[in-house]
Amino acid sequence: MSKIICSAAIRGAHKIVGTAEAKYEGALKKWGPDQEIGFPNTTYYLPIIYGMLGIPVKTLADAKKVLDKCKKLLPEPVSDKVWLPYLAPALEAGMATFFAEEIIEAIRYLEDPDFYTKGEDPLPDNIWLGAADDVIMRKRGVEFVDGTAPGFAAILGAAPTKEIAAKIAIELQEKNLYVFMCGDHEGKTMSEQLIEAGVQIGWPTRLVSFGPSYMAAVFAIGFATRAAMSFGGVKPGDFAANLRYNKDRIFAFAMPLGTVTDEWYANAAGAINWGFPTIADTPIPQILPTGICTYEHVVSNIPHDQIVAKAIEVRGLKVSISKVDIPMSYGPAFEGERIRKDDLYFECGGGRTLGVELTVSKDMSEVEDGKIEMIGPDLDQVKEGDKLPFAMLIEVAGRQMQSDFEPILERQIHHLVNYVQGIMHIGQRNIMWIRVGKAAVEKGFLLKHLGTVMHAKYHQDFGGIVDKVQVKLYTDEEKVKEILELSKKVYKKRDERVEGMTDETEETYYSCTLCQSFAPSHVCIITPERVGMCGAYNWLDCKASFEINPTGPNQPIIKGECTEPVLGQWKGITDFVNKASRQKVEQVSAYSLMNFPMTACGCFECVATILPMCNGIMVVNRDFMGMTPCGMKFTTLAGMVGGGNQTPGFLGVSKHYICSKKFLLAEGGLKRVVWLPKMLKEELAERMKPICEEMGIPNFADMIADETVGTTEEEILPFLEEKGHPALTMDPLM
Amino acid sequence: MTFEIPKVSYSGKIKEIPLGRGENIITVGGESCYPFHLFEGAIPHPPKIAMEVYDKEPEDWPDTALEPFADVAGDPVAWARKCVDTYGAEMIALQLASTDPNAEDTPADEAAAITKKVSDAVDVPLIVFGTSNTDKDTEVLKAVCETCEGKNLIIGPLGEGNYRAIGATAIGYKHTVMASTPIDINLAKQLNILLGNLNVPDDKIIIDPTTGALGYGLEYCYSVIERIRTAALIQEDERLQFPIIANFAKEVWKTKEVKLSEPEAPLLGDQKKRGVLMEAMTAQCVLLAGADILVMRHPEAINLVKESIQDLMIKGEG
Repeated sequence: MSKIICSAAIRGAHKIVGTAEAKYEGALKKWGPDQEIGFPNTTYYLPIIYGMLGIPVKTLADAKKVLDKCKKLLPEPVSDKVWLPYLAPALEAGMATFFAEEIIEAIRYLEDPDFYTKGEDPLPDNIWLGAADDVIMRKRGVEFVDGTAPGFAAILGAAPTKEIAAKIAIELQEKNLYVFMCGDHEGKTMSEQLIEAGVQIGWPTRLVSFGPSYMAAVFAIGFATRAAMSFGGVKPGDFAANLRYNKDRIFAFAMPLGTVTDEWYANAAGAINWGFPTIADTPIPQILPTGICTYEHVVSNIPHDQIVAKAIEVRGLKVSISKVDIPMSYGPAFEGERIRKDDLYFECGGGRTLGVELTVSKDMSEVEDGKIEMIGPDLDQVKEGDKLPFAMLIEVAGRQMQSDFEPILERQIHHLVNYVQGIMHIGQRNIMWIRVGKAAVEKGFLLKHLGTVMHAKYHQDFGGIVDKVQVKLYTDEEKVKEILELSKKVYKKRDERVEGMTDETEETYYSCTLCQSFAPSHVCIITPERVGMCGAYNWLDCKASFEINPTGPNQPIIKGECTEPVLGQWKGITDFVNKASRQKVEQVSAYSLMNFPMTACGCFECVATILPMCNGIMVVNRDFMGMTPCGMKFTTLAGMVGGGNQTPGFLGVSKHYICSKKFLLAEGGLKRVVWLPKMLKEELAERMKPICEEMGIPNFADMIADETVGTTEEEILPFLEEKGHPALTMDPLM
Repeated sequence: MTFEIPKVSYSGKIKEIPLGRGENIITVGGESCYPFHLFEGAIPHPPKIAMEVYDKEPEDWPDTALEPFADVAGDPVAWARKCVDTYGAEMIALQLASTDPNAEDTPADEAAAITKKVSDAVDVPLIVFGTSNTDKDTEVLKAVCETCEGKNLIIGPLGEGNYRAIGATAIGYKHTVMASTPIDINLAKQLNILLGNLNVPDDKIIIDPTTGALGYGLEYCYSVIERIRTAALIQEDERLQFPIIANFAKEVWKTKEVKLSEPEAPLLGDQKKRGVLMEAMTAQCVLLAGADILVMRHPEAINLVKESIQDLMIKGEG
């Protein structure tokens, strides 16, 4: 921690505790030790002291006990010769500061009962509200917990002008934050500036003028401390739980505007205990490493037009957007809409023009949240029937964002754009195709609104991983070509990443228990090389799903020691499946059809089963209605496989897994496959090629029988013999 | 050789949740064995029945259900009193049905005022149900929490969309919550985890797994309750070790089998008996599955089930 900051904070704390002692002595002389003190209408006494120490300060005598504690907490002032770490002493100095300030404020209530208005709104002759009573706290504090108000900005001092003050206040209001104001800078206060600027202040507008002194900062911290006790179930005196609660849930930060004095430093150091960082407009030293706070502790010299955005970033506050602000209706109901020729106003991509959509992640500093740029003509500048090249580049940034999540986010574009009424979206990547209907254009829809949609929905649906979103839309041909080139590079890298990922390279696999509602004992294990049998969840999807919903159905499992490399069994996986299936499934193999095959829900794309006479395996997909050589149709087979039962010889698989190098490794892999429906064989043809070549049988696909060869084992066996299918000479399956 | 009844060995125990306040606290939960398996473990608190009271006079009830309450149907306070005084209700379940935006859309403060009156009028624990409308329930139940501070009401349903707002308010005003999920063990567990993360104390959570009526998906609900209990007692699933409430009366009494009059459906027999038995049978099923609190309507059905509970609670020789 910066030595300058710590030294100043400790100096400030000494001064403040000194003031408190002087105030206490004065009050003691005047009223005696039994004099009652406290904040008005609260059962939390002096809330910081009560929350941290569990001491209910009711009288001046009680205050004395706390002041003694303060003195014990106060570290020696930092000397030039000491170079030890200062974090702990500075934090303790900050804590002592708050205790002392609460006592000072309590004595102020005693000495000058009308110093604060004690209401929700400022009065004409007194704008200082003072400590919130329990009625206000109950009403407002719950908002911190349920997310209606994510937190507060504790502003000390004043902005350079009233206009800047108003702008900062409004920006904070727009993020639903409370603004707690105290202290002055060169005689000016933020609260007064807002009034001068015509901004209405008071609890109802969330712009709270606590007091003219920096000491009123304790009303803000006290509010947070009470919220944790009242709505977080934290017991008085359980300081660790209270501080952790605030750090994890109350998105508050200190924003000193103006010269940071020793006393301000002392308050800022105190706030760090609660996990509230400081974001300053002056060039004070910074404390960037993460430790007590979620991210940085002190960030300084931020220009006023960026200070709110910076504060939100540093505190890790998620932006919540409740509505997609476009002139059209928006929702899943419009997903299936088709725009036919007669209704068509404009289209792009789909082979008619160049078209591409791309989501990439960037550094936090490179993305300005909510910025949507249109480069080239928009719909108001084209006429009916026009076509233009189109590129949509979505740049996202987030503390939890990983480049692995890019394709997952990008894949959402399809349905998210389709949700717009009057728009049709087909395809993805550089084969995307958008059609805009006449009705949409009449209502004022612009391509730019697609940016609005993506910005809002990424925040809404992927807030766990995305903090900032900016969108660039291009219809200028040269620019589109540039993005197209960029996209090709990105896609190549992504594809390589996915191909390079093997079950051996990753230590963590994921579970999926989404389907336990109807298959209670079923647990899907998803590895990089084994996509979920529904085909909908691959390993990366699960990884992102866990980031977004940590208590959800996709949980990370450390695979642990590999006990059976060929069957695909790991200690960690076995233990997890055993527990998550509630002891129904004791062992599971990721790569075997015969030994402890994975259970299935009911949502598998295909079923694999054995054909004993052919010594091989057949796979049938859900869309194939006909008879198969095992004597059962898909529907009958599905009954054998589903429901979370382990049935050796029957397995639910995804289409993707058939072409995985880990496909039924224990039984010999793809080489064992003797029968596939023609439609499935054709669908997989491209992806099968490289594997066949690797097997050394480039024409292997031709050796696999399909329904045109036969739908009984007797019918297909001669075909397999004629082709010299490798399965016939492999080890017996049973 | 003597025959020994095979016994299940249990590793878990359901948490004990005190409901209501003061001298009238009724505790539920605490089982260390399957329902009524008294030969294997302890059931310190037999299942309880809460009698339904509606905030406004019901319009769509069959006369057979309304008849016992005809004199009090428009007055929730009198209704609640009658349940306790005349029928000996162990608990009251106030259904704030009129708050539904698709019904009368009674405002939150009005609903809270009604709840307050009812809670002042009876000493037994008071359960308060919203209408499963996420936004409206948030508004209504927050107001109820505030108005009835300190009464330790049992409020719900808390769902995925509003557990934070209502849960936090319930902590603040010290009420018990019902975590409601749509017939799914994993969702039930997840919501309990989330409530725990919110710091709702473990002795303030009841599971509402959603219960249908006999013939209307009851078997599905049965399995889920049974599985929750199995997970809690045998599989050490700590986040499922909570008592279960089954709120099915409103489901039973809207079914066709209960509503059709005798002239309309002569084959179905006496209409009143039919309704009473439908409700009692539904109750009996969820009792055997593992429910701790049954929300019921008809006094005669309640009597049947009470008798059955008494019989089942007699510890035999084995």
